[in-house]
Amino acid sequence: MADSAGAPRPSSSVKLVLLGEAAVGKSSLVLRFVNNDFQENKEPTIGAAFLTQKCNLPQRTIKFEIWDTAGQERFASLAPMYYRNAQAALVVYDLTKPTSLVKAKHWVAELQRQASPGIVIALVGNKLDLTSDNAGTTGEGEPGGGDGDARKVSTEEAKIYAEEEGLLFFETSAKTGYNVTEVFTAIANAIPETSLKSARGPGAAGATSRTEEQRVNLNGPRDPNAKEGCAC
Amino acid sequence: MLNLSSFVQKAQQLLDPTQGLNLSDPDRNPSKASLFQSQFRLPSSQHPLYEITAELTIPPANATQGDKDHDRGFRYAGKLHISESYLCFSTTGSSFLQSASTTTSSIFTGQTHGGGPSGNGFTLPLCAIRRVERLHSQNFQFALAITTWNGIGQDDKAKDGSKDRKEQRITLQLAGPRVTCERFCDGLKKGLRAAVGNVGKLKKVISECYSEYLLRPEDKKNAAPPDAGLGMMFRYPGDPKKLRDRAKMRLWAEYLRDNGRNMTLLRQPTFHKLIRVGLPNRLRGEMWELTSGSMYLRLENPTLYADTLTKFSGQESLAIDEIEKDLNRSLPEYPGFQSEEGIGRLRRVLTAYSWVNPDVGYCQAMNIVVAALLIYMSEAQAFFLLSALCDRLVPGYYSTTMYGTLLDQKVFESLVERTMPILWEHLVRSDVQLSVVSLPWFLSLYINSMPLVFAFRVLDVFFVEGPKVLFQVGLAILRINGEELLDATDDGAFISVLKSYFVRLDESAHPKSENPKLRAVTRFQELMVVAFKEFSGITHSSITELRLKNKDSVLNNIENFAKRTAIRNLGPDSKLLSTEELGALYDRFYGVLYERQQRDLIIKQERARRAKSSRSRIPDMASSHDQAVEKGRVGLGPSTSLMDYDAFREFLASMSKWAISDSPATPRRETFPEADRGFYGSLNKRPDAMLSPWGAGPEPADHEFLRRLFVKWDVSSSAALTLQNVVSGLARIKGKRDIMGTINYFFELHDDDGDGKVDREGILRMSEALLFLSRRGLEGTLSPTNSTLTLSTMGDGSQNDVSGQTINERFLGSVSAFIRRCFEYADPDHPNNQPAATQKTTTGADTSDDQLASPDAFAIGDDDDDEDDLLAMDSPPGSPKAAKKAEPSSQHAPSIGRTSLSTATSTDPKDRRRVSKAHSERANIALDPSNPLHITLPTFRMVVLADELLEQFFESSFPASFHITEGLNSTSATSSSSLTTFSSLGLGAGRAVGAALGGAPGAPAGGRGLRGVLDNIVTDGMRVAQEVVRRMEEAQKELERNAVPGQRNDEDEEEDEDDAVAPGAGKNAAYLGDAERRSVRNSDRDLLSGADAEASDVTAGASVPGRASVGSEGSSGGISGGGAGKVVGVEFEG
Repeated sequence: MADSAGAPRPSSSVKLVLLGEAAVGKSSLVLRFVNNDFQENKEPTIGAAFLTQKCNLPQRTIKFEIWDTAGQERFASLAPMYYRNAQAALVVYDLTKPTSLVKAKHWVAELQRQASPGIVIALVGNKLDLTSDNAGTTGEGEPGGGDGDARKVSTEEAKIYAEEEGLLFFETSAKTGYNVTEVFTAIANAIPETSLKSARGPGAAGATSRTEEQRVNLNGPRDPNAKEGCAC
Repeated sequence: MLNLSSFVQKAQQLLDPTQGLNLSDPDRNPSKASLFQSQFRLPSSQHPLYEITAELTIPPANATQGDKDHDRGFRYAGKLHISESYLCFSTTGSSFLQSASTTTSSIFTGQTHGGGPSGNGFTLPLCAIRRVERLHSQNFQFALAITTWNGIGQDDKAKDGSKDRKEQRITLQLAGPRVTCERFCDGLKKGLRAAVGNVGKLKKVISECYSEYLLRPEDKKNAAPPDAGLGMMFRYPGDPKKLRDRAKMRLWAEYLRDNGRNMTLLRQPTFHKLIRVGLPNRLRGEMWELTSGSMYLRLENPTLYADTLTKFSGQESLAIDEIEKDLNRSLPEYPGFQSEEGIGRLRRVLTAYSWVNPDVGYCQAMNIVVAALLIYMSEAQAFFLLSALCDRLVPGYYSTTMYGTLLDQKVFESLVERTMPILWEHLVRSDVQLSVVSLPWFLSLYINSMPLVFAFRVLDVFFVEGPKVLFQVGLAILRINGEELLDATDDGAFISVLKSYFVRLDESAHPKSENPKLRAVTRFQELMVVAFKEFSGITHSSITELRLKNKDSVLNNIENFAKRTAIRNLGPDSKLLSTEELGALYDRFYGVLYERQQRDLIIKQERARRAKSSRSRIPDMASSHDQAVEKGRVGLGPSTSLMDYDAFREFLASMSKWAISDSPATPRRETFPEADRGFYGSLNKRPDAMLSPWGAGPEPADHEFLRRLFVKWDVSSSAALTLQNVVSGLARIKGKRDIMGTINYFFELHDDDGDGKVDREGILRMSEALLFLSRRGLEGTLSPTNSTLTLSTMGDGSQNDVSGQTINERFLGSVSAFIRRCFEYADPDHPNNQPAATQKTTTGADTSDDQLASPDAFAIGDDDDDEDDLLAMDSPPGSPKAAKKAEPSSQHAPSIGRTSLSTATSTDPKDRRRVSKAHSERANIALDPSNPLHITLPTFRMVVLADELLEQFFESSFPASFHITEGLNSTSATSSSSLTTFSSLGLGAGRAVGAALGGAPGAPAGGRGLRGVLDNIVTDGMRVAQEVVRRMEEAQKELERNAVPGQRNDEDEEEDEDDAVAPGAGKNAAYLGDAERRSVRNSDRDLLSGADAEASDVTAGASVPGRASVGSEGSSGGISGGGAGKVVGVEFEG
């Protein structure tokens, strides 16, 4: 992951934080994105885990500094420590568990009020592999998981909410890998150019000021990946 | 000598910063008991009872090896302490006497700095003492020889020769005046007697200790060794050769043979050294248990673990769900936790703990810690060690708010700032948040940060020396990596520097050194040296001090976060209230819960203290008072977020004056205008106030209305309210600010079965509620805040005192009218009467107020209202004409009331008569008990709107009576003097009520001082209303006999006037109001005395517990102490 000095594209790092109820698959999403791997038993995240991964866009390279936070309710009070200065957030819910969407909405509200003003938020419904419309079930077929549709949160409902709040929206499966990279690519695209710092630049010193002016409006057709995201 | 000692004490006070502050905060001034407990790692049941300076001699006979000094043995000077069931000795001279200063109680020497069994000595359970003899000694000194039950687990057979050799015997020379020595011996004797029964427990506990097996002679080792953790099955982490496990085990075996094992272990300098080099695998669990003190917890209740599992077997909980999610992911790399055996153990320990400590339940990271413990110890041992961790070693780390974790991060940060200013500055400059990396270190006690073998080494020291070890190690990590960290400019780089450091802990710290010895030093050894040498200045007391300093800000942060989250997560109803209101509600809600818990605790402690001090002569019990744990504070993880009915009353009483009890018994009436009931108001500053069941606040009323409100808000019928319930409930009253909403709500509140009808009983209850709510005057309402001109008629600016009273009186009139109208317009339940009812309800809504109101305007108050109403409707708001017109009318109300009525109602007198006639007919039908009746919401609405005062009540007074944000501070001052009751009307111009209910009380009331009258009378209004319910039945009968429909209009009015002038002069029994009047009048005396009786009942009831606790007189006749020369000992065999 070390910076290749002669990278053809300008590279910049983006701090991204994952939030969401316990066991919705935050760490698994990250693991899929970073290592293209899936583990049934991951150690629970204590405080937060830190990982990095690059995302190549046509014009530039984004280096994600991913803060994967603990999901247990009582760790919520630690969250401000992690979403501080974050430029992007992935708010994850489990689409087989309606309460997790409620929790996700709380996180969105918290971020909108407390996080950096320009933060790009993506709402992600995970565990699509457990639903009957698991569109992207390509790889790793699910052994013995074919007992119908466990979906409890409709795409419509979450999508409408995401549109109201100006969030990116995706349904994913960390298990099959469906739509995972797309989420991160969409976030990378949505990060305004101006708020990017260079990967090995003067550090995060300017972090506090850099996001002051821009408030990204993600409503409407501005986001090039929106259509992909909802293609499930 | 005396002078000197007092001088010393003064000096100590000067030196000890916490002393001078004289703060009541238990943290700042920890009780002697808690200092004692933490020094000797004793359970919280233990208190320092006696102490004496003494010299401990460990005779050479115990030394098995030949090379020790046979003549003298080991001698240590120190202090000997005795608690309920422990005898403790420490070379640390701490004193835990009540008279001792905090400094002397927390004198720390040695490595543990008061955070653990410091210095040399022992912590001996009294039940582990087999025999105490008084030795003959020169110079009149007391010398005790103590023989312990060391090795009790295995001398069942070997009773002969070998026994003597094994017997552990120590001598203690007491220093001090004879009286003191004798007293101490008495105490010891008493304790020993009480402890005899616990020898069985002791045997059970030590049977699970590996040391017993280890020290068994070779020929008896055939029995299976006790469980020393999963490591016995799945191997212990690390290479035993590399760890030099055998050598360590040998050294420990020797030490234990010489100095006693487990419960009877004596701490000598070697003990601490042996721990520093790392414990051998199979003894590790037991030593952790011993040094952390969790072994003493196990001794207290050896079967708690098994019992808990049995008791809760098969039950479900949130914690269990959370535990299940993590079982497969706790140290998954250790083979033991890839097996059902290991997972099962982990599940049971975590589950059992979540049951015994539901406040903590389960927190991620506990799984990792417990998994680590289970490698070295049995389930029961791990269970108790987990308790010791959560309660004492890392308090608050795993609580629901994790305040301990956050606090220690703050402490850690300030230590870094202090010890490594350059690094700290770099962190600040590069905007790296230290806790992002350090939090997991502390939370999982380095277990998932370092390779396991090293993490366990840290734990070895941590359990003896306490939490400061975590800080020392953390600081050392940063110091060692300082240079590289200075190059790191963001969180990511920072983390990766440390990650790679941890991976290479087993490498040489100086790989390039010429010196082979230096080359052999591993990075971990270097870490330990830096931690404990370079940071030896980090002591338990410096940690405590920093925790104290940061505690408030950390808790406030957490509370702000919790509040923000909670408020944001409230349902859509909450949008009806302002942010300030929600914030204030949140504060009030948790404030009440918190204060109540504090109060309960203090009352309980006080009771225990009184009970104890009256029972025994033990001098030191007072200390339990300041032990108050700050349970319930949100930041600490609220132990409850549910409000029961009593708390609800108290909650309402903090913001609504009608919710304050009128009981004259309330002792704190004078102090009532309380300064500031801030969130978590400093409780301990008013300990006496806290002893009253309601604290320093006003005693809340208990009225049916409160109960109804509670039930209504308690949506889930769980007999407890959540914040959400309270917010939703208030949102409906206060949020919409529309009169219809409030009227509907009030109606629903009394519509028990939700069928949209309120029956006769309900009507009466409604009126009672109205009286209840208004008895301290109507609020905000009638001040001309809104542009409503009607309000200005109430008084010209000075409406607060003079006309304020008039308003309240008139409200009573309105209520009485309300009752009457309700009955008049009620729908009969009987199907035959249905057509009439429907007809009425349809017309009801359209009928203009004055028409409806006028027939019933028998109380003059009403007359005014009607006129005001008219004015308000006729003239546009803001018209000066209307205001002018209104003013005189209100001023002259008494005299011109009738006139104004006639003008007001003269719009269509004929029509009015006709209507009223019809109505009264209907009313009479309605009153027939054989014709059950009810009112519907439209009727209720109509009746309310018919009366301007009632209308205003629902429009603004009732909602305004909940002072959510500002509380009662400003208004409360006047509340007690503005009580409006039927009787108080006698003081002023009590026409309205006089008319409605008979003016008799006016006479006696007038004779007394206002306050005295009020105190007696406060309940009367309510009583009368209740009485009305009863009298109503009688009235109905009378009505049936005497009813003369349609006969009343002008005559009634006239009569009302008469009544007002000469109370109780009503004669016309033809009329409901009259009947009411009379019957109430007749029973006034009873009522008054009844109210008094009830009030005194309440006081008697309230004072009962206090009296009971005081009453239990001590029965302990002093057991006179062992005299000189006698053997003080008691010998217990078996």
